[in-house]
Amino acid sequence: MSQKSDELKIYWKKIKYAFPILNNTLPTECTDQEYEEITQIIVGLGIQVKIRDLVLVHVEKYLRVYVAPSFWSKFTKVEEDIKAFQLFKSAVNDLYDSVNQFSDMLRRLKHLNNECCDNRPIFGEKDVILGFKQLLRATLLSQLPTTYYIIINHFYELSFNVFDNMKSSDMDEDICLGCWNEYSECNCAYIVKVFYDTNKKLVELQLLERLAGQVLTNFIQKKIEVHIRKICTGAFDVSHMSHLEDWLDTTVMTWLTRIYSAGSSQAPPGIKYAITKFKQKLSFFLYQTYTKLRIDQLFNIIIEYPDSQPAIDDIKTCLESTNLCPLLCKKLQTALETRLLHPGVNTPDILTAYISTIRALRHLDPSGIILETVTKPVRNYLRNREDTVRSVVSSLTEEGTGSELAEELAKFAAENDEDNEKEEAWDDWYPDPVDADPRRAQGPKGSDIISMLVNVYGSKELFVNEYRTLLADRLLAQGDINTEKEIRYLELLKLRFGESQLHFCEVMLKDISDSKRINTLISQDKNFAEMNAKFSSNAMILSAQFWPPFKDESLELPEEIKQHLAEYTKAYEGLKGNRTLSWKPHLGNVNIEIEIGEKKLDLTVSPFNATLIMHFQNKPEWLLEELHDIMKVPMTVLRRKITYWQSLGLITEKSSDYYVLVDGSEANKANVPSNQVQEMICEDEETESVMASAHDQREGELQVFWSYIVGMLTNLDSLPLERIHQMLKMFASQAPGTECSLNELRQFLDTKVRTHQLVLQGGMYKLPKL
Amino acid sequence: MKVTVKSWTGVATWRWIANDDNCGICRMPFDSCCPDCKLPGDDCPLVWGACSHCFHIHCIVKWLHSQPQQQCPMCRQDWKFNNK
Ligand SMILES: [Zn+2]
Ligand SMILES: [Zn+2]
Ligand SMILES: [Zn+2]
Repeated sequence: MSQKSDELKIYWKKIKYAFPILNNTLPTECTDQEYEEITQIIVGLGIQVKIRDLVLVHVEKYLRVYVAPSFWSKFTKVEEDIKAFQLFKSAVNDLYDSVNQFSDMLRRLKHLNNECCDNRPIFGEKDVILGFKQLLRATLLSQLPTTYYIIINHFYELSFNVFDNMKSSDMDEDICLGCWNEYSECNCAYIVKVFYDTNKKLVELQLLERLAGQVLTNFIQKKIEVHIRKICTGAFDVSHMSHLEDWLDTTVMTWLTRIYSAGSSQAPPGIKYAITKFKQKLSFFLYQTYTKLRIDQLFNIIIEYPDSQPAIDDIKTCLESTNLCPLLCKKLQTALETRLLHPGVNTPDILTAYISTIRALRHLDPSGIILETVTKPVRNYLRNREDTVRSVVSSLTEEGTGSELAEELAKFAAENDEDNEKEEAWDDWYPDPVDADPRRAQGPKGSDIISMLVNVYGSKELFVNEYRTLLADRLLAQGDINTEKEIRYLELLKLRFGESQLHFCEVMLKDISDSKRINTLISQDKNFAEMNAKFSSNAMILSAQFWPPFKDESLELPEEIKQHLAEYTKAYEGLKGNRTLSWKPHLGNVNIEIEIGEKKLDLTVSPFNATLIMHFQNKPEWLLEELHDIMKVPMTVLRRKITYWQSLGLITEKSSDYYVLVDGSEANKANVPSNQVQEMICEDEETESVMASAHDQREGELQVFWSYIVGMLTNLDSLPLERIHQMLKMFASQAPGTECSLNELRQFLDTKVRTHQLVLQGGMYKLPKL
Repeated sequence: MKVTVKSWTGVATWRWIANDDNCGICRMPFDSCCPDCKLPGDDCPLVWGACSHCFHIHCIVKWLHSQPQQQCPMCRQDWKFNNK
């Protein structure tokens, strides 16, 4: 019994001799031959599995208790680059050495493992060596200190700086830009050597990625950001995608390969895989960074569209491989809101930007989803601006190249022509292929830019109505308008909005050209010619049914003018049997010459201004009330309009509501140079429309509903918009003014809220409490 | 101060001198045109009957064509054009 026990003691001693790790140490003098014998003993006793497992337990413990703590003990908070550099270097070296100490033992353990024949995985791996490496990494990482990255950062930053400055060493400097030493003591070569050496060891230990990956990534990402920012300033008319991909492929990846392959430009196969994975990450980051930058610039890119199409194309490509679409929508919406949607921006500028946005985003995203999302606030805002329709109309009919909308209108007409031709070639028709471009399949021409704009305000009718008002104003303001040109535009608009809506405008234009003919004929009338010897009188003769309603304004003209116009009427009646004229005395324009002191002024003014100054010629002092009696103009209007002559220095308000002509000598002083006067007149004439605006007209029509609404709210206290709309449909549908869309009703009610006739609370309309 | 008017351009609307506002046949204003026309005035003039009723010329001509008897649609008297 004791003999057996002694024998076992000897065997155990021999086993510990072969595997000193069982005594928590590594070095051994055991030769291969001795080991062979010991293996035979182990196998003879049938305890190979037990011994192997025991050794593994001790290996794990040794790594946990000695190797890992000693490695991490060097990862302290160090401030200086070079100190940290040395620490990291020695940590890796020590780790590498102590791992090497395992190599003999591992070889023997592998041998023993083969004798076990149980195919048990060693720390998750088939192979002892691989299992050991796995264990090493796991043990190290399980003890990762929170500040581990400090010396690693220092190590790589110092090295990268050396690399960065290796090529471009500027010898004019006294100090090496790589290692910040004086040239005589430049450390760069040493740093490079240690850097490669350390990396090589980390690669072998399969720790490079885990320890340095993040630092490397951060560093390269920083480089990518700087590079992108450098090349993508300003110009949007160049695509940068292929350049950036090239740059990543060559400059960045070559550099990375050299690091991973310890200086060689050819990576060994295992490392190649790691590099490929790295590249995927970096490529994603590159797209992300580039797209984010472009998204920040997107407002400006849009404004420059279509010149900026390459930039839009780039974003389009990038959106496919990144998830930045929501960011794009959010940022662009904010940009549009802050740059456009406030009172300081002119409506035409908002429209121009909106049109560019439509075009650019259509190109970026043919599905239209981004456009729809992003421009919603723009549409809401435009809807509430009073001059939106007017701005669209005037830019539609604007002369020359500047106007986007005019071009769009012409384009529409051209496309229409094309379509007609296509229809004729119907026998050449084939069905669209299955993968037809959805943009074309999207179909109706209604989705073009003009409709998008017109739809902002709800109805085509409102829009066309506004066009009519605008045309009326222009025709009346400048009698010698180029009617041919206007007719050409009208034809374009007809294609777009249909014949019937614009028929009125055709008659208006015809009225103007007819008037010219009639004026010529009447000036040849004998009786009238006598009258005209004093001054010539012309008329714009309008077909009232076809013009928009005029603002009601009264004005009693001077007697001699009235006679003159009456004579014109007589001549007209002679020319056109059974027809007569009704004058709109406040409309038109008058060319007068004023002599005052030594000055002569040649002015074109409104009939009001002409009448007023003519009265002052007859009598130099007037009470406001007297003027009101003789001119039949409300006193508030008089007070406002007389300022025109005050601003010219011809009339002064001596005391309250008492106006006096400035006499010759004083007038000379006060007078404004006549060229400047002309400018002021232009302003005076153009600021105000003589037409009731479309808004006013429609509001007038909606007034019909007002009594119904008041009735409802008196009975039911408060109602939401939709309910009011429903009830109006039921009760008031026979009323003139007929249909009223939900949107129109909202606008109408909102004006009532603004004028305090209604209260809006939590989405409910109420009558205000009296 | 002396003010001299050199030219005066006024604005007026024209209308037919008739005893009613609307055409009794098409119900459109006289100063507008009949449903078949696009332009008012010279292109769609009024005519008077001996009975003193008046219509768009196109309206009364159409009416007379559609009727066996040539009567004014307003007063049923025989229709005669009055070259007023
Ligand atoms: Zn008629
Ligand atoms: Zn007619
Ligand atoms: Zn009759």
